[in-house]
Amino acid sequence: MESTGSTPLQPPADTELHRRLVYGDESALAEVYGAYGPLVRRVAVRVTRSPAAAEDVAQEVFAQLWSRPYAYDADRGSLRTWLSMLAHRRAVDWVRSEARHRKDARADDSALHAIPDASPGPDETVVDRERSLLLHTALAELPQPQREVVHLAYFAGRTYRQAAVELGIPEGTAKTRLRTALRTLAESLADPPDPALERGA
Amino acid sequence: MTSEHDGVRDLLAAWAFGALPPAEQEIVPRHLAECHSCAAEAEKLRETVRLLDGPPSSRTGVRPWSDVLSTALRARPATPRVAAHAAPYAAAVAGLKALLPEAEGRWGTPVVHDWDVHATVAHLLAADEPLAGRLGIAARVPASPVAEGARWQDAWNRRSAEVIAHEHGRTPEETVADWAAQAAALLATPEAREPELAACATMLMGVRLPVADHFVVRAFEAWIHTDDIGRALGLAVPAPPAGHLGQLVRLAVRILGLALGPAAQPVLFAVDGEQQWVLGSEDEPIRAELALDPVDFCLLMGGRRTPDEVPRRAVGDEGAIRNVLERAASLSWL
Repeated sequence: MESTGSTPLQPPADTELHRRLVYGDESALAEVYGAYGPLVRRVAVRVTRSPAAAEDVAQEVFAQLWSRPYAYDADRGSLRTWLSMLAHRRAVDWVRSEARHRKDARADDSALHAIPDASPGPDETVVDRERSLLLHTALAELPQPQREVVHLAYFAGRTYRQAAVELGIPEGTAKTRLRTALRTLAESLADPPDPALERGA
Repeated sequence: MTSEHDGVRDLLAAWAFGALPPAEQEIVPRHLAECHSCAAEAEKLRETVRLLDGPPSSRTGVRPWSDVLSTALRARPATPRVAAHAAPYAAAVAGLKALLPEAEGRWGTPVVHDWDVHATVAHLLAADEPLAGRLGIAARVPASPVAEGARWQDAWNRRSAEVIAHEHGRTPEETVADWAAQAAALLATPEAREPELAACATMLMGVRLPVADHFVVRAFEAWIHTDDIGRALGLAVPAPPAGHLGQLVRLAVRILGLALGPAAQPVLFAVDGEQQWVLGSEDEPIRAELALDPVDFCLLMGGRRTPDEVPRRAVGDEGAIRNVLERAASLSWL
């Protein structure tokens, strides 16, 4: 029952919240939502570009935490990072499934404008929108240690030093992981488009 | 290459993500003004972050908490509201229901005794039966008659084996559904909701206790077996919330005190976070002091720790301490 890994012990708050979620205490879910709802929505809206879709994603993320509390392991990371990464994954899935729907809609030449939310807004070009999705897809596929730092530093607004403390890693490691991650992302733009994405898979 | 150059190079990603602490924010632009290679790298990273950002989003209405909650409760219903004496059982049932989806595809994993996950749930179906029967809930698995005068342990073990054998002819999902339905029926009884009704004492499993305490015993067993299943699946099951754990501890101490009887060598017994009790004779001076962690004490009472290995803080007469630990371990029926 004790943490045996090399990862740091999580603050008691996460362990206690997890305990209450496991034992079916709804007030724990309300607390988690109050604390991390804004972060989850922020992540989701960056990926989906749609406030309505971001609300759907947030709702799904918190429903998943409630219904499958054992998917989160307090010994392996903070609830903040875990929720942020789950929201990102779900938001990328949402965009991909939108892309698939649009392709289908185009194929049978109807309902082309059924999903106005997913189209680029006036402030964003189609190319930028596509590149953004490519980047977020690549981000979702980064190795977990890199993804954790990116989520804390980028979505959760931590400095790299705060992220290092929160993850229990040296500052230099946090810097290196951010650098490796961002370079990988930058290079993914140069790569030819992912065929799986093209298929909307 | 200067050391400033190397230092800034390392900071560029953090800078592009806006993750530099204030003290380091000035050094980057200063260096970029004079270093073309860093400036090019910085531009590439900044552009990547700009694309990740997208345009500023227009804020629209945040969905009300009630919508979020009702979506969550559709996926996993609320824990029934019951009186304090049944709350630990309601929580333990919720906790096992939360764990069981993780057993999907692994129902045959060995747990304890010769039970796999499926059999452990079937055992709990049998274990909740005596209280359910007392409260007027019909058994879900047909029962063969029990001989008059049989020891309760024998009847208990036989019934458990019978239900496990029966359930192994069904799918794990069917067994879980029956266990959950019986637990829900128990929690829906008036005795689960009204303390006055639960105050009646009744003899179950060899011990005469108020129905309220039998609910606490059910919570104890459900948690211990949930913990067994968690270990088997490699998942750490959290101990019950402190309030519920205290209820389990206080009942276990009472049962232990009764089992030791009034003639045992007196021991001052403490459980962390709870009060102290004198176990054994009240007419003699205290022979020893023994202190245990609440979870360790419950695991000892549940037969999941041995008297030798259970972590303790003890001073005084070794024999008196051993007597308490061994008696506690001997009470396990799980």
